[in-house]
Amino acid sequence: MIRLAIGSLRRHRGVYAGTFLAAMLAVALLAGAGMLLFSVLTAKPPADRFAAAPLVVSGARQVSVATETVKHKKEGKTKLKRKVKNERLTGAGTLPADLPARIAAVPGVTGVVADAAFPVQVAGPDGMPLRGTDGAPVIGHGWRSAVLTPYQLRSGHPPAHGEAVIDADLAARGRVAVSDTLHVTTRTGEYSVRVSGIAAPAGRDGLAAQGALFLADGDVAAVSGLAGPTAVGVFARPGVELGGVVGDAEVYTGDDRVRADLPGALPDYVGPISIFGFVIGITAFAAVFVLTGTVALGVRQRLRELALLRTAGATPGQLRRLLGLESVVLAALAALPAAPLGIVFARVVAARFRALHAVPAQFSVRVNLPVMLLGALAGVLVTFVAARIAARRSVRIAPTQALTETATAPTGGLVPRVLVALVTTGGATAILTFVPLGGPLGMGMSFVSSALLLCAVAALGPYLVRPLTIAARPLGLAGMLARAEYRRVAALAVPLVLMFGINATMLLNSTLLGKLTEQDQVARDAVATAQVTGPGGLPLSTARRLVATPGVTGAAALLPTRVIAVKGGKPEDYPAQGLLAAGQSALDLDVRSGAYAADGVGASEAMVRQYGWKVGQVVPLWLADGVPVRLRLTMVYARARGFGDLVLPAGLVAAHDPSGLISTVGLRYTPGTAQRLLADFPSLRVTPAVGAAATGDASEQQGAWELMVVISLGFTAIAVVNTSAIATASRRREYADLRLAGATVGQLHRMAGAEALVTVFAGLLLGAAVTGVVVGAFSTAQDGALRWLVDPATYAAMAGGVAVLGLLAGTLPARLLLRRRGLATEA
Amino acid sequence: MRNTVVDLFDVVKCYPGVRALDGVSAGFAAGTFSAVMGPSGSGKSTLLHCAAGLDRPDSGQVKLGGHEIGRLREPKLTETRRRLVGFVFQTYNLLDSLSVWHNVLLPQRLAGVRPDRAWAREVVRRVGLSGRENDRPAQLSGGQRQRVALARALAARPEVIFADEPTGALDLATGREVLGLLREAVDELGTTIVMVTHDPAAAAWADRVVFLADGRVVAQLDNPSAEKVAAQMTAVSAR
Ligand SMILES: Nc1ncnc2c1ncn2[C@@H]1O[C@H](COP(=O)(O)OP(=O)(O)O)[C@@H](O)[C@H]1O
Ligand SMILES: [Mg+2]
Repeated sequence: MIRLAIGSLRRHRGVYAGTFLAAMLAVALLAGAGMLLFSVLTAKPPADRFAAAPLVVSGARQVSVATETVKHKKEGKTKLKRKVKNERLTGAGTLPADLPARIAAVPGVTGVVADAAFPVQVAGPDGMPLRGTDGAPVIGHGWRSAVLTPYQLRSGHPPAHGEAVIDADLAARGRVAVSDTLHVTTRTGEYSVRVSGIAAPAGRDGLAAQGALFLADGDVAAVSGLAGPTAVGVFARPGVELGGVVGDAEVYTGDDRVRADLPGALPDYVGPISIFGFVIGITAFAAVFVLTGTVALGVRQRLRELALLRTAGATPGQLRRLLGLESVVLAALAALPAAPLGIVFARVVAARFRALHAVPAQFSVRVNLPVMLLGALAGVLVTFVAARIAARRSVRIAPTQALTETATAPTGGLVPRVLVALVTTGGATAILTFVPLGGPLGMGMSFVSSALLLCAVAALGPYLVRPLTIAARPLGLAGMLARAEYRRVAALAVPLVLMFGINATMLLNSTLLGKLTEQDQVARDAVATAQVTGPGGLPLSTARRLVATPGVTGAAALLPTRVIAVKGGKPEDYPAQGLLAAGQSALDLDVRSGAYAADGVGASEAMVRQYGWKVGQVVPLWLADGVPVRLRLTMVYARARGFGDLVLPAGLVAAHDPSGLISTVGLRYTPGTAQRLLADFPSLRVTPAVGAAATGDASEQQGAWELMVVISLGFTAIAVVNTSAIATASRRREYADLRLAGATVGQLHRMAGAEALVTVFAGLLLGAAVTGVVVGAFSTAQDGALRWLVDPATYAAMAGGVAVLGLLAGTLPARLLLRRRGLATEA
Repeated sequence: MRNTVVDLFDVVKCYPGVRALDGVSAGFAAGTFSAVMGPSGSGKSTLLHCAAGLDRPDSGQVKLGGHEIGRLREPKLTETRRRLVGFVFQTYNLLDSLSVWHNVLLPQRLAGVRPDRAWAREVVRRVGLSGRENDRPAQLSGGQRQRVALARALAARPEVIFADEPTGALDLATGREVLGLLREAVDELGTTIVMVTHDPAAAAWADRVVFLADGRVVAQLDNPSAEKVAAQMTAVSAR
């Protein structure tokens, strides 16, 4: 059997080359995406600032919610079930100020270092912002914390009051020397500090993901605004128990110590997990879809050979096994080059995502053998299953068909096709109807529904395409042949549908979101005369002075943060804004009920809908440092895109978010005030009227989406060309027969062209139908407006690209086939 | 002597390692049924391909209906061929995706002429396929497919029909029916037919038999009988 399979592989090189290529790319994509996800899931913080301290005590870095459910069982028994769900904090809570002293009193403890970590915005003597490697943030500490790493002075002396020591990496990047003056901004205000020294960890210039700025220990409380240490490093004899004195705080040892560091000082690998999860979803779908189609097409190309084997005495079961074995051999061979290709793919994608800041700069792909094997296994499995499904009908071919020169698969199989189509269409309809596409799941779910619809199109391919080939009527004889070959047209149109459907849906939806976000932003800012921004942000105190400037009639200062709310026992984190408003309204949130109150909380419509909140109700929230607050809901607003789902008092946010800086201040002022503002606040930028860019978050998202579209566009394009090349094998005979019937080469080209035209027409029409349904539903869910095209230019570019590729893929193989002479011998 | 439709003068055709045709000269008269015979590999198919303009000789001349086809370039060659020539092959060479009727009309459509439907219907009737016009070739038996191929060749009213082992894939009785139709086409429609075969019984239906061996014409026979052809074949094969 294996001999036969390998022999058969040799003979049908053309068809197998196509299947091989599809399997190779599929495995490469699966393995690559798998490695990306694996790498991000197992990513380790690049450096441990607490390397020198054997024990580190820290407050919680997450909000934990425990729910207890009582399960009533039979016979009156009950069972108590306790579930704890966590959500990571973006800031860090502080420890009691007296905790270091209490720990120091524990027998066996030889030393205690209270560590304060707080983000700082630093500008060098030339006014340029100072950042660490790859744009890493600069974190402030007291000089005392230096021993935890340890950082050692390379030059200068420890900081005295009003002075600072920075790490050598920062100093080199900003060309800062001892006795230069730095401009430091924190949530408590702006400071000028003199550089008293340059320090570095042993053997390095600085830590990988954070720059360090050490202040005099006496200055820390005032500059940071922290009420206590964020962590405590403990030097102790082995085996010392701190459990008794630390209370709720966590004690970390070994590799876990890094978890005591400020979350903002560590690369964030949570966002990328969902990104790479999505990459895996898209690639897996496209890979399986393409591979299944390719394998099925390959089997159909060989019907005659199968019939011959039947005459030679092969039973259908043997043929099934033959096809199955063949596919396994082929996919296994394809997996060999695919594995290294997968690594390359993962590296390239990771590099692009790093450049887009969608993943931390420190992220690197870790090659993992089990993951690669898993990708290969998945590829082999998909190929095998696809071959067996395709074989199911083909092997029943009657042996006599081999005697007659042509072989056609027994038709039928309409019932399973319709069933598949019904189930997938039903699934898509359910998603589009019941999932709130306007919410955070919108993009993912609209992708899933378009994938389901594409499956339906693939299942019904020939039946959907056949009526569409009517378009070929005006093309005369060439069109007649294309119509007669509607099955081949369908096989070639389906990859085009996939290419258009999946990519247009993603691209249009993300474009729509981007547009709406920008529109919201513009509409929010429309009431302000100008937007004021500062490099890295401005402290609340500066914003207050700005607001108090004579001539300013209204202001809205925004302080971006993240807030956690608990839904059904599960803490979830949401983008939010601290808002300081004064005078006339300078921010139009499109308030739907209630009104802004300085000490209340506002929530987006989506948020209110999800949580069932009512205006006037007190809602429990957790701030960035994990401190719970209860605030009265005073306002529900609609214009939340690119802004956040919650609005809180700015002072409260600044006190609990370690970054705590105002990002923008919308101002309304009387004419002539702008000059005064510029004079009083020389470091700030005043941008009249609108024109502020969409928030970075949104454009990063958009970039990530576009990259995913590029990946799947590339793969689906290859699938289109590949399918077309495989189908060409069946054309060889047809062309020879046509030549014998008197067709000129030119006529054959025209026929291939006509068929390609019909294919593109059918592909685009079905693709547009899928896209239209999904984008229409997505758009309606966003703001009630029904849009089909979203962005005519993008749409036209996508359609045009698909059309060009379809035409090329339909005509080029024919051109190559017909270049060769000797038509008589082809017959 | 009637004038010839197809003429070969000293035609040589080489394939890597073989001289498939080694200086063949032959003429096929209008309105006659000629058979080309020879052992397997003797160059019969090559002769037919060269005579029909499907292939170009390495040297020598081929005249088809008065055209020196060695001079013609594509697509002129194809146009000339489809005007003058019809084909019937052992492997039928019908288009599976088209119905019988469309297959029959295909050469005329390709030639861009308005198909003569009445005549096409007539030839379909003559080959005994009335009522099967809408079937696909796959739904027909081998003999029926060969009839379609013949009807297709006749429908365009070519000067000459080239047939390469038209009965090779058919059983004895079906083969005889097809040969009868070819004979009828010559006798009743005045068609010229050049048929390649290695079967003496098939060759006996022809007016004249040309014997090939190793790419050369080695004998000719007029008004053959199956016995005479068989005897000649034995002689040729023994050389
Ligand atoms: N396309 C080709 N390439 C190489 N050799 C060929 C080709 N076609 C025919 N031949 C060779 O030319 C010779 C004559 O072939 P052919 O005319 O097909 O013989 P016949 O039809 O009499 O069996 C044979 O030796 C055959 O192998
Ligand atoms: Mg032959």
